[in-house]
Amino acid sequence: MIWRFGLFDSTFAPLATTHWALLVALVFPLLLGVLGALFPPKRAFPVALASLPVLASGVMLLSAFDQSGLLSWQWEIAGLILSLRLNGLSVLLLLTTQCIGVAAALYTPGYLRLSETGPLARWLWPLMGVVLSALSLIWLATDLLTLYIALELMGLAAVGMLMLSGKAPALLAGMRYLLLALVGSLTYLLGIALILGHWGRLDLQGLAKVIEPGPVAWFAAALIGAGLALKAALFPLHAWLTPVHENAWTPVSALHAGLVIKASLFMLLQLWSILLPDTFYAPRVIAWLGLLAIVWGGLLAWRTDSLKTLVASSTVAQLGYLMVAFPLLLGPDIAPLPRALAWEGFWLQLVGHAFAKAAMFMAAGNLILATGEHTLKGLAGTSRRLPLSLLVFGIASITLMGLPPSSGFTAKWMLLQAMIITQQWWAVAALLTGTLLTAAYVFRMFRYSFDETAPRHRYQPLAPGMDLIALTLALIAFALGLLAHFPLELMHGGSP
Amino acid sequence: MNAAWLPLTALATSLLVAVTIFALPEEARRLRTTINIGAAVVKIILVTLMVRRVAAGHEDIFSFQVIGGLDFVLRIDALGVMFAGLSSLLWLCTTIYAIGYLEGSANRKRFFGFFSLCVASTIGIALADNLFTFLIFYEMLTLSTYPLVVHRGTEKALNAGRVYLRYTLSAGVVLLLGAVLLNNLTGDQSFSSEEGLGDYLNDHRGLLTLIFILLVSGLAVKAAMVPLHGWLPRAMVAPAPVSALLHAVAVVKAGAFGILRVVYDLYGIELSVELGVITGLAVAASITIIYGSLRAIAQQELKPLLAFSTVSQVSYVILGIGIFGPFGTVGALAHLLHQGLMKVTLFFCAGNYAEELGIHRIDEIDGAGKRMPLTSIAFTIGALGMIGLPPVAGFITKWYLGVGAIQAEMYWVVAVLVASSTLNAMYFLPILHRLWFRPGPSHGKGNWPHEQRLGRLETHGWLLWPMMFTALISLGAGLFAGLPYSPLDWAARVASGEYLP
Amino acid sequence: MIASFDAIEVLLALCLTGSAFVCLFDRHLIRACCFFVVFAVSMVLAWWQLGAPWLAAAELLLGVMLTSPCFFYALGHLSPGASAPLKRDQFSEPWSRVAMRVVLALVWFVMVGAAIRFVIADMVYSPAEHPLLLAGVLIAATALAAFALHRHLFRRLLAFNLLGSGVFILLSGVAGSSAAAQALISVGLLVAWLGSMLGALLIRQLMHLEGVEALGRDGEPKESTT
Repeated sequence: MIWRFGLFDSTFAPLATTHWALLVALVFPLLLGVLGALFPPKRAFPVALASLPVLASGVMLLSAFDQSGLLSWQWEIAGLILSLRLNGLSVLLLLTTQCIGVAAALYTPGYLRLSETGPLARWLWPLMGVVLSALSLIWLATDLLTLYIALELMGLAAVGMLMLSGKAPALLAGMRYLLLALVGSLTYLLGIALILGHWGRLDLQGLAKVIEPGPVAWFAAALIGAGLALKAALFPLHAWLTPVHENAWTPVSALHAGLVIKASLFMLLQLWSILLPDTFYAPRVIAWLGLLAIVWGGLLAWRTDSLKTLVASSTVAQLGYLMVAFPLLLGPDIAPLPRALAWEGFWLQLVGHAFAKAAMFMAAGNLILATGEHTLKGLAGTSRRLPLSLLVFGIASITLMGLPPSSGFTAKWMLLQAMIITQQWWAVAALLTGTLLTAAYVFRMFRYSFDETAPRHRYQPLAPGMDLIALTLALIAFALGLLAHFPLELMHGGSP
Repeated sequence: MNAAWLPLTALATSLLVAVTIFALPEEARRLRTTINIGAAVVKIILVTLMVRRVAAGHEDIFSFQVIGGLDFVLRIDALGVMFAGLSSLLWLCTTIYAIGYLEGSANRKRFFGFFSLCVASTIGIALADNLFTFLIFYEMLTLSTYPLVVHRGTEKALNAGRVYLRYTLSAGVVLLLGAVLLNNLTGDQSFSSEEGLGDYLNDHRGLLTLIFILLVSGLAVKAAMVPLHGWLPRAMVAPAPVSALLHAVAVVKAGAFGILRVVYDLYGIELSVELGVITGLAVAASITIIYGSLRAIAQQELKPLLAFSTVSQVSYVILGIGIFGPFGTVGALAHLLHQGLMKVTLFFCAGNYAEELGIHRIDEIDGAGKRMPLTSIAFTIGALGMIGLPPVAGFITKWYLGVGAIQAEMYWVVAVLVASSTLNAMYFLPILHRLWFRPGPSHGKGNWPHEQRLGRLETHGWLLWPMMFTALISLGAGLFAGLPYSPLDWAARVASGEYLP
Repeated sequence: MIASFDAIEVLLALCLTGSAFVCLFDRHLIRACCFFVVFAVSMVLAWWQLGAPWLAAAELLLGVMLTSPCFFYALGHLSPGASAPLKRDQFSEPWSRVAMRVVLALVWFVMVGAAIRFVIADMVYSPAEHPLLLAGVLIAATALAAFALHRHLFRRLLAFNLLGSGVFILLSGVAGSSAAAQALISVGLLVAWLGSMLGALLIRQLMHLEGVEALGRDGEPKESTT
C-alpha cells in the first residue's frame, strides 16, 4: 500500500520547469483569489484567462510525471522538514481539483449576477483560492505538518465559503460545521502528537518504515480516523453536511461536496495505510458503517422534498461506496489482483463522483435559480422549459447511479470484481442496493420534472454558459467510464 | 480485412443524430425530420453493407481497452446483423410513423432525441461482442426509453414509468452481478470465442448454473417473461410509435436477443443442455406463452391486448431456444424478425384507429373495415400471422418450432404450440369479425368515439405508408421465405453456424 | 532545585485546571470569559516553564491578545452599538443527555490517558512528575465533555478553545519541545484564533438576525453531534 501512495525514493530529480509548475499549481489559485477580491470579475472570460496558467501547470506536472515517474521535493526550514511528492495519484487528483475549481470559478460570475448575494460576495474569490491551493497541497504533501497546515487552511476557508450567503440557517449550520471541524482537527492533532511523541518524526516515508503495529499506532489511528471522518462526513458523523449545503451558494457546494470532503478521506486512507497496514477490524468497521451510509443516505435523499438536500444526502450515500472498499485496501490477506482492482476502482469512483457531484450541484443550482423553487414539486414541467439543466442533472445522476457507460459504472464493476474475488458478499449487496436506492431518489426527482399537468410560471433566464459548464463536468464524469484506461494508467505507473 | 469503421459508424449514426436533435431548437421541425429520415436511410445502407460483408465471410471488429482485462468490443456477426437489420428497418418505419403521429404535439425534440438514443442502444446491443459491452447498451436502452414511456407526462404515464424502472433497473442489477461473476470466473469472454465455457463445467457446475440463472432472469425482465412481465402492459400509456418500438423491436427483443446470446454464444448450446437449464427455459417460455394468451383474451382494450399478445409471442423465441436442435433454433431466430414485423404492423394499426377514429376499446371497432380498409387489411395480415396461418410470416416460425419439437421428441411443446395458436385465434378472430362483418358507424349505426379526417386517404399519409410497408414485408417474409437473404434463410445461416462446427 | 520547579509546575497546573473548570461550567458568560483570560495567561507561563519561549510569545499574542477580545466581541461588550449583550446561558439540558455526555467524556479521558501511558512509559510510576501533562489530560477531557454538553454556541466555542489548549499541552508533553512540536502547536494556535474569530463573528451575526434563541437551536436530540 505504501508504494501506491508514492512513499519511496524517486529516481529522478525534478527539472527547473517542474519546480515552476509546482509553484504555480500551489500558489496561483491563492494569488488569483486575492486578485479576484480586489477586482471582482463580472464576466466569465477574465476568469477563464486567469485560470489558464493553473491548468497549464497541471498539464506540465502531468507530463513531468509521465517522463520521469515519481518526483519528490524536500525543504528544511529551521529544523523542520517539509516534503512533497508527485505520483500518479496526486497528478490525477490535482488535475481533478484544477478542472472542478476552474469550472466552479467560471460558473461564479454568472451565478453572482443572477442571485441576490449581498456584499459578502467579494469574499468568495479569496476563499475559493485558499481552498484550491490547500487542496493541491494536500494531494502533494508527505509530512504530517504540511498536511495539518493544508487541512486547516482548507477547513477554515471552506467554512467561510459555505456561510457567505449570510442567511440565518446557513450561519447556524456553518457554525456547527465550524465547531465540528475544529474539534475534528484537534482530535487529528492529538493523534499526530502520539506519533510524534513515540516515533519522533513527521515525514510519512520515514514513518512508514518505523511504525510497527501496537497500541500507540492504534490509538493514533483511532484519533486521526475520528477527526478526519468528522471532516469527511463519513456516516455517523454526517449530520452537519446536509444543512450546510442546503443554504450554501451553488459553486461553493460544488467545490465542497466534490473535493473538500474527499481530501479528508484521502488523508484518512493514506495515514491508515501507514498506521494500520493489514489490520482486520478497523477497515471492517468503516466498511460496515459504509453499508449503513449507503442505505441511510439513500433513504434520506429519497424522503426529502428539497432538491439541494437530495443532492447533499446523496453525497453521504456515495461516500458509503468508498468506505465499503476499505477492507480491500487495508485488510490483511488480500491478493494483489483484488487489491489493485479495489485501489483503481476506489479512485475512479472518487474522481467520477467529484465531477458528477459538482455538475449535479450546478444543475440543481441552475434549476433552483431559474424556477425560484427549492422543492422537488417546484420542478414540475421543467422538462419542457429547462431541458438542458435537466439533462445535465440526468447525466450526472447516471454516474451516481453507476449505470453504464459512466465512470461510476466502471468503478463499480472493478469494486464488485474485487469484492467477489475476496468473497465479501455483504459488500456486493451494499453496492447493488446502493444502485437501486440512487435510482429511486434520482427518478423521483425526474418524475416531478416530467409532470406536464403543472401550472406554468415564469422562469428566470440563466446566464450563458452556466449550463454548459455543468454539462462539461457531467460529460467528463460520464466519459471517464469508457476512457477509464487513461486515469488508471497514471496509477499503474511509478511503482518502485 | 477489418473494417473497424463499419460497426462504429453504424453506432455513431444514431448517436450523432440524438446529439444533433438535442442541440436543435424545438421549432426546427423540417430540419429534424430530414435528419431523422436521412440517418435512418443511411443506417439501412450500412446494415446492408454489413450483411454483405458477413455473407462474404468478413469479421469486422472495433475494440479498445477500458480497464485492464476488460475491453469494449463491437463485432459484426450474423446474429447481430439480424437484430441490427430488424431495428434499422423498423426504425425507419417507426420514425416516419412517429413524425405523422406526433404532428403538432409538444416535446417532439425530446421525443426524437431519446428515440434515436434508443435505436443507438439497440444497434449497440446487436453488435456487442462481450457481456460488458452488451451491458452498457442494455442499460442505455433502459435509460433512453424511460423518457419515452413518460412522454405524455400524465399521472398514469408517470406511474407506468416508475413501474418500468423498478423492473428494468432491478433486472440490470441482477444482470450486472451475473456479468461480474462470470467475468471473475472466465475473464473477458468474447461472444465469438469458439471454446464456450465447457472447460469450467467440471469444477464450477453450480456457479455456472447460478450465473446462467442470474443472466437469464435479468434479461427475462425485458423479454417480459412471466412473472417478470408486469411493466409491459402498463407501459402501454406511451404514444403508439413508442409502443410499437418498445414491443416490436427495442426492449422486449433486446431481452430475447440477450438470452439468445447467452445460450448460443456465451455458454454454447451443448453446455446449456448439459447444465439442464435449457429445459427450464422451455418450460418458463411455455408458461409465458399460455399465460400471455389467456390474459390477452380477457382484455377489453386494443393496446393492452396487443401487449399481452407480445408477452406471449416473444416467448416463442425463448421456446425455440429451449428446443434442442437446428429447427428450433431456426424457428427462434426467424421469429425474432417475424414477430417484430407483424407486431409493429399491429401497433401501427392500433395507433391509426386511435388517431383517426378515437377507437381504444375492442367493442368500438365494429365495421371499421369499411371506413379504413387499408389499415384493416394490414391489421388482418398481422393478426393472421400471429395466429400462424399461412402464408404470413408467423406460419413459418410455428412450422419450424413444431418440426423442431418433434425432432427433439418434446411432444408437449407441440401441445403448447397448438394450444397457443387456438388461444391466439380466440382473441384475434373476434376482432377481425368485428372489423369486417359487424355493422358499425360507417354503416350508419352509431358514431365513432372521436373521428378526425387526417388526410385525403383514410388517414394521414405518414401514418398509412409505414404500416402498409411493414404489413407487406410480413406477408413477403412468409411468401418468399425460400429466397436468399430472407429472414428464414439468414436464420438458417446463423443456426448452421451454431450447430455445425 | 528540582523540587522548587515542581512546585511551580504544580501551581501552574492547578491554576490552569481551576480556571478551565470555571471557564467551562460557569453560566455567567462574562465571568467565564474573564477566566479564559486567566487561563491564557497561565498558559503563557506554562510554555515559558516548559522551555518554549517561542510558544509563550505565540500564546501571548494569539491567545491573550487576539482570541480573548474575540470572545468579548462575541458577547457584545466591545462594539458599543451591538444589540443585546449576552449575559447568561439560559439553556438547560435533560439529565439523560448530561449522563450520556459524561460517559462519553470519561471514555475519551481513559482513551487519551491510556494512549499517553503507552507513549511515556515511565509516567505510570511517577504521575506526579508530570503535573502539566496531567492537567492537560484533565482539561482536554473536561473540555470535550463541556463541548458535547453545552448547547449554547458561545460556550461551545470556549470549550473548543480550552480543548485546544489541553491538546497542545499534551502534545508538548509527549513530544517535548522539538521544532516539529512547536510548529504544530503554533499552527494549532493560529487555527484556534482564526476559528474563534470566525465563530465570534458568526455568533454576533446570528444574534443580530435571530436573537438569543438561535444560539441554542443546535442541540436538538436528533442532531446530536458526537
